Amino acid sequence: MSNKILYSYTGIFDTPDQIIQAAEMAVKEGFTKYDVNTPYPLHGMDSAMKLPPSKLGYIALIFGLSAALATALVIGWMSAIDYPLVVGGKPLFSFPAYVPVMFEVTVLTASIATVVAMLFFFFKLPNIGHPLHGTGYMKTVSSDKYGISIQVNDPKLILPDGSFNESFILKFLESVGSKEIAPVYWDEEEINHQNKILDPKFMVFLFVVAIITSAVTYFSLNILMNITPFNWMAEQQKLSVQQTSSVFKNHSGMLVPVPGTVARNSMPYQFSGQPDSAGKSLINPIPVSIESLKKGEIKFDVYCSPCHGFNGDGAGRLNGQFPNPPTLHSDKVRKWTDARIFAVITEGQNVMPSYASQLTVDERWTVINYIRALQRALNAMESDLK
Amino acid sequence: MSISTGYHKKELPPKIKTLGLALLITGLIIVILGYMTDTTRSLYNNIIGFTFLVSIGVGSLFFVGLEYIVGAVWSTPFRRVSEFLSSLIIILPLFVLPLLLNVNIIFGWTHPADTMMQAKVPYLNINFFVIRVVVFWLLWVGFYFFIIKNSVRQDKTKEPSLTKTNIKLSAVFMPVFAITISLAAIDWLMSLAPKWFSTIFGVYYFSGTVLAALAAATIFIVMLNERGYLIAGLKSDHYYSLGALLFAFINFWAYISFSQFLLIWYGNLPEETVWFLARWHGNWKIFSIGLLVIHFVIPYFGLLSQPSKMNPKTLLIMALWILFGHYIDLYWLVMPNFYKEGIIFGWIELGFPILITGLIILVFFYRARKINLVAVGDPKLQRGIDFRL
Amino acid sequence: MDSVNYKVEIPVIEGNPSLGGLDELISRPTITKPDRKYYIALSISLSMLSLGVIGVALTFFYGIGMWGNNIPVAWAFDITNFVFWVGIGHAGTLISAILFLLRQKWRTGISRFAEGMTIFAVMTAGIFPIIHLGRPWLAGYLFPYPNQHSLWVNFTSPLIWDVFAVSTYFTVSLIFWYVGLIPDLAVLRERTVNKIKKIIYSIFSLGWRFSNRHWQHYDMVYLILAGFATPLVLSVHTIVSFDFAVSILPGWHSTIFPPYFVAGAVFSGFAMVQNILILIRKIFNYEHIITLNTLEKMNKVILLTGSMVGYSYLMEMFIAWYSGIQPERFVFINRALGPYAVEFWIMVSCNVIFPQLFWFKKIRRSIIIMFAIGIFVNVGMWMERFVIVVTSLSRDFLPSSWHHFTPTWVDFSILIGSFGFFFTWLLLFTKALPVVSMAEVKAVLKGSQPTHGDH
Repeated sequence: MSNKILYSYTGIFDTPDQIIQAAEMAVKEGFTKYDVNTPYPLHGMDSAMKLPPSKLGYIALIFGLSAALATALVIGWMSAIDYPLVVGGKPLFSFPAYVPVMFEVTVLTASIATVVAMLFFFFKLPNIGHPLHGTGYMKTVSSDKYGISIQVNDPKLILPDGSFNESFILKFLESVGSKEIAPVYWDEEEINHQNKILDPKFMVFLFVVAIITSAVTYFSLNILMNITPFNWMAEQQKLSVQQTSSVFKNHSGMLVPVPGTVARNSMPYQFSGQPDSAGKSLINPIPVSIESLKKGEIKFDVYCSPCHGFNGDGAGRLNGQFPNPPTLHSDKVRKWTDARIFAVITEGQNVMPSYASQLTVDERWTVINYIRALQRALNAMESDLK
Repeated sequence: MSISTGYHKKELPPKIKTLGLALLITGLIIVILGYMTDTTRSLYNNIIGFTFLVSIGVGSLFFVGLEYIVGAVWSTPFRRVSEFLSSLIIILPLFVLPLLLNVNIIFGWTHPADTMMQAKVPYLNINFFVIRVVVFWLLWVGFYFFIIKNSVRQDKTKEPSLTKTNIKLSAVFMPVFAITISLAAIDWLMSLAPKWFSTIFGVYYFSGTVLAALAAATIFIVMLNERGYLIAGLKSDHYYSLGALLFAFINFWAYISFSQFLLIWYGNLPEETVWFLARWHGNWKIFSIGLLVIHFVIPYFGLLSQPSKMNPKTLLIMALWILFGHYIDLYWLVMPNFYKEGIIFGWIELGFPILITGLIILVFFYRARKINLVAVGDPKLQRGIDFRL
Repeated sequence: MDSVNYKVEIPVIEGNPSLGGLDELISRPTITKPDRKYYIALSISLSMLSLGVIGVALTFFYGIGMWGNNIPVAWAFDITNFVFWVGIGHAGTLISAILFLLRQKWRTGISRFAEGMTIFAVMTAGIFPIIHLGRPWLAGYLFPYPNQHSLWVNFTSPLIWDVFAVSTYFTVSLIFWYVGLIPDLAVLRERTVNKIKKIIYSIFSLGWRFSNRHWQHYDMVYLILAGFATPLVLSVHTIVSFDFAVSILPGWHSTIFPPYFVAGAVFSGFAMVQNILILIRKIFNYEHIITLNTLEKMNKVILLTGSMVGYSYLMEMFIAWYSGIQPERFVFINRALGPYAVEFWIMVSCNVIFPQLFWFKKIRRSIIIMFAIGIFVNVGMWMERFVIVVTSLSRDFLPSSWHHFTPTWVDFSILIGSFGFFFTWLLLFTKALPVVSMAEVKAVLKGSQPTHGDH
């Protein structure tokens, strides 16, 4: 307490008119390092102190407009470029739909920016220590009186020898009618305080915040989401493929169908090993039509032509590498019923394998229709030419 | 400060009358020629002119009433300006008569072709339509007559009880205004596309009406005050309030307008989108974008800053611009229903705007001759003059 | 008093208290220990809250099946409560921000409390979008953050607009409220003798020292925040209305929904604020700060917004008829005469008929009647959201899809719980912070401003 350094002299006033007058006198006198403290803002004080208008409006405007533009671009990029989704038949870049979000983000950004600017730039947060804190002056001025505080290092108060003109300031304060004229001293900590932005304490604080944020994020996304009940949708009780099962004897979650299982929309083939009986009993249910022939052509070209050739004459691509497949235009085949051919396709014969798993029942019949067309093509009658 | 010595009744200069008369006659000639050359097109312009006058006339009465029921003081020194503008209600029949004589040409619902149209016949039939016009006009004139009469009488008698009466009248007028202005908008503007509908349409017309009445009043207030015709003591604080209201209602119009558009765009129902598609076809597209710029973007930035709201020059320019914007808005509501290919503009379209401008100036001139430009007897007048932000 | 003197401005604060006296009166609840009545009130609100917690816990554990929602009524109490509470919040911002822009001094006694109510109401409202999700713990998915699915949210959906709107509304309201609190926290800092409280107040008052150089920037920021909060509040309930209006459901797809919902929100919010203020002014002896004139002005706002809501009902019904579209016409016939007719007629009488009583000055100045009407308005407005949501969903285009909705006890417990949540926060607020803004009230006292302070 022994080396107290003077900061300012303060004076108290009882009425708003008095403090306005005092401020005007201070300006007239030429003081610049002074301040007025009132419990609430007084009308006309700004012009009495000849303060330039606050520039915070510009911050709001700039941040607001930038936010609006940025939002439109970002949403446009997300919706039309990065992961384009057609929603409701609307165009990928649907500006009208972006307006509500643009508006909200604009207001949010501008509000936060303005308040942050006020706090950090104009109020110089976090350096908010001030000699006036904790004084009796502050107590009065926060409640029901008005005050003026003139700093002792105001240029008007510096005498040629470097000291300050105490009598001048006291006389001035008395002349404008202030009561309770009192000196205010610097706090020892404040006077030695260097305001650094890279303050080590602040750096440590940022580091700790970063650690905590990462830890929380990792915990919630990687650990929490995998425990009950948050994993209920990911880990369901039903049996999935490639899971072991405690129910079945072979412990496999995947089972083959029970013997005798019949696929949907199909009847079991009753003439296994009896192609001739099949040839006598079954009937081709697919009527001959352009459609059927076209379908049959496609299937024939895919499955049959490698061996039997595109024309069914046995000149397939496998010629020479395989025992030659018979031509389908032989008398034998031409005399076979549709069903006899069906039996061959279904079960195979000799080297030809079964095509039952590649062609459905109906597809086999359409292939047969096509074979018939091929056969007729190679053995056309005069009447066909009409 | 004595109120009666603060106001000196000055006669408006006779060149105002000359200007008004010149515009009126020019406009009238163009309108008549228009009717002779292309009746249908003139009728459509007539609708625009009529609804424009309703906006200013009935909207100004709404302002007078609003001031009474909220007890505002800042507008008291120039409430009389709005009162003069509301006298336009009286000449509305002249503008509606050509329309009523030609309902069959203008309105498609006069020939209901299918079941959908026939479902609307209980409301959209000529008899009920005419009755509505007459009843609305009688209501408007009635409230106008009594409210303005009390206000003018108060100049002489200075009885505070007249204020109380006007407050009561205004309170009753408000719901009447809400219903009549909405139905008038539906009748005259929405039913031009009889299969289309929008529940917010009345509010939309209301937002434009408020702007038009406010802008018209502001124009007169600024011009009169700068030349000393109103009362001493009116300063930038009053201008600021007018500018702030204009700014607020620009935003309100844009909000209502966008809401209507977004919901119809989003729902994508053909019976609703057809109305907007008509306004996107051909060069109506440019007009629609232009409307947004004229009616919202320009006034928004023009009136955003605090100084611009307090400066009489910018305020006047913006008020004139906004009034022009309202006419554009009405044009956009009416014309695309009939001229599908694109904007139609020629000398005929100038007739009604010129006529109406001249009319408003003349009406104002003649009212100002007989009646004080300031409500000198109003008990709130001094508080209004002393008003500071 | 029958004859009003129009020449003189009615004083906002009655009795001409001293500045120091105001400080003492307003800061007293934050210093004194709670009394028995406080504890009783708190225990009631906490029990209501506990009921809600049980309901929510069951919902989280067993799923939305605990509610009465079904197909087609996929939204019921959840969205009704959401819209209801967001609406309550709007009154606070209107009082703070819009009345500030309109230079209405009578807002000063009530703005702090109303803003606090806004924040608590928005917090309550925010519960519902989260609990109505099937997997509420994935609520983070609602925000557009870069993720390993490479997915973004659907920005064209009004549900996402809601996310942005409600979070922005909450954040900006909180900032606005806090900025307003700074000078008062500084006053408390100067007055308190408790060491811990002094540290807390010092931190949160941000070193405020009542300097006029700071007041100048502070006033500008307050004006800017008020200027932003005004369109924000309109936009929030507009976006909430878009939840319904962008659909093509009859009864929902109506262009008037945005202003209609905003008016309805202010309507119900003012009724709730007014009722709570009636209790506060009595309990804390603030009758000369929150005067009868203030309450009367609030009643006028209720009358105005109630009339707007009534206008919207009429316009919707008329245009539904005018459209000639049978399902549109049916919506209103169904509301009036169908299975939810009781709810509909409660809504109409509470929202349209009772508030019209406020045309009469005697009623506007009767505390008991205005309190009753305030309750009716809140009931009516809750019913309105219920009617809109449930009737349109339960009976839409195809009669074979119609299905009735019946709420379960879980639905009711969550509704009650939301009131408990809201009132608990409010009660804690009255003890922790000054419910009236000392700085703002002082600024409008008679004689508090300089006399020849002409610009």
